[in-house]
Amino acid sequence: MLEQLASRIDGSALQAGAVYLLSQIRGFPPMIQTVHLLAIAAVMGSIVLIDLRILGLALRGQPTSDLARRLLPWTWWALPFLFVSGIIFVLARPQRYAVNPIFRLKFVLLALAVIVTLALHRVTARNPAYWEGPGGGRVLGRMVAAASLLLWVAVVLAGRWIAYADYLLPSEE
Amino acid sequence: MDPLWEWLELLPLAQYVGESWWFPLLESIHVVAATFLVGAIAMLDLRLLGVAATQHRVSRIASEILPWTAAAAVVAVVTGVPLFTTRATHYAHNTAFQIKVLLLVLAAVNMLWFHLRTERGIAAWDNDGTPVTGARIAGLCSMVLWAGVLLSGRWIGHLI
Repeated sequence: MLEQLASRIDGSALQAGAVYLLSQIRGFPPMIQTVHLLAIAAVMGSIVLIDLRILGLALRGQPTSDLARRLLPWTWWALPFLFVSGIIFVLARPQRYAVNPIFRLKFVLLALAVIVTLALHRVTARNPAYWEGPGGGRVLGRMVAAASLLLWVAVVLAGRWIAYADYLLPSEE
Repeated sequence: MDPLWEWLELLPLAQYVGESWWFPLLESIHVVAATFLVGAIAMLDLRLLGVAATQHRVSRIASEILPWTAAAAVVAVVTGVPLFTTRATHYAHNTAFQIKVLLLVLAAVNMLWFHLRTERGIAAWDNDGTPVTGARIAGLCSMVLWAGVLLSGRWIGHLI
């Protein structure tokens, strides 16, 4: 399915536009990649810090609910920036990404990370005292936070490995 | 300096990292550490600018976030140095790398200036939603410099 989509993008005006931007504007690729990195920094400084707070490791002077309310918008706002800065590269070379197993893995991990973060967000919105309260919140909350932390970091690692998959896992052709 | 770079390149560590999956592994950890460092320090920078977390004391945000940025910096250096050694001569002459080092030095000077000078009088503005001008300048400089470190760092690989 991904490969069919890629062959439809191949030769389209979208691809031509992306190739034009990336090849004709000097310094465009590293600048757009830096937008991607800054948006990742926003994810690290928001959901990852919230996860560390729930695990009791960081920012213990601030209540989790207060931190989540303040920082989660940064996570959600980072996503459209990540999407736009990332898709330019995919549009320019769709076939390269369609056959890359690490690219697929990254988006499976991203989907899971977003689902876990949404769950964390909803729990906080419904019951701000959940993370501080006694009982279930502690254990379940810590498991969710650990999953979220590992998933977001794994997404970033996988993102960096896409480029290496071309060398480490040569295609059959 | 070139003899030093050549000596580094010939170290067993440099050769091993350069020829194995250690390079992509260390590089990806370097990216996680660098983005975490920038994301975490931005929290303090935005507090200094009076943009975020204004109901919390500046000193509290600083004391809670700085151990994490320091830890991230250690990881970034520990992963970054072996990457550098693999092609030390090339990187030392790479303009993007040189700019990155310059920006890192400026970021360090900005941090030192803040801790040694501006922060001395923190008692007077710790609770202020919008801190004194010196603190706001330190926050702005930090954000710009760290964004520049990410940009020049990412640019290194684009210069052959």
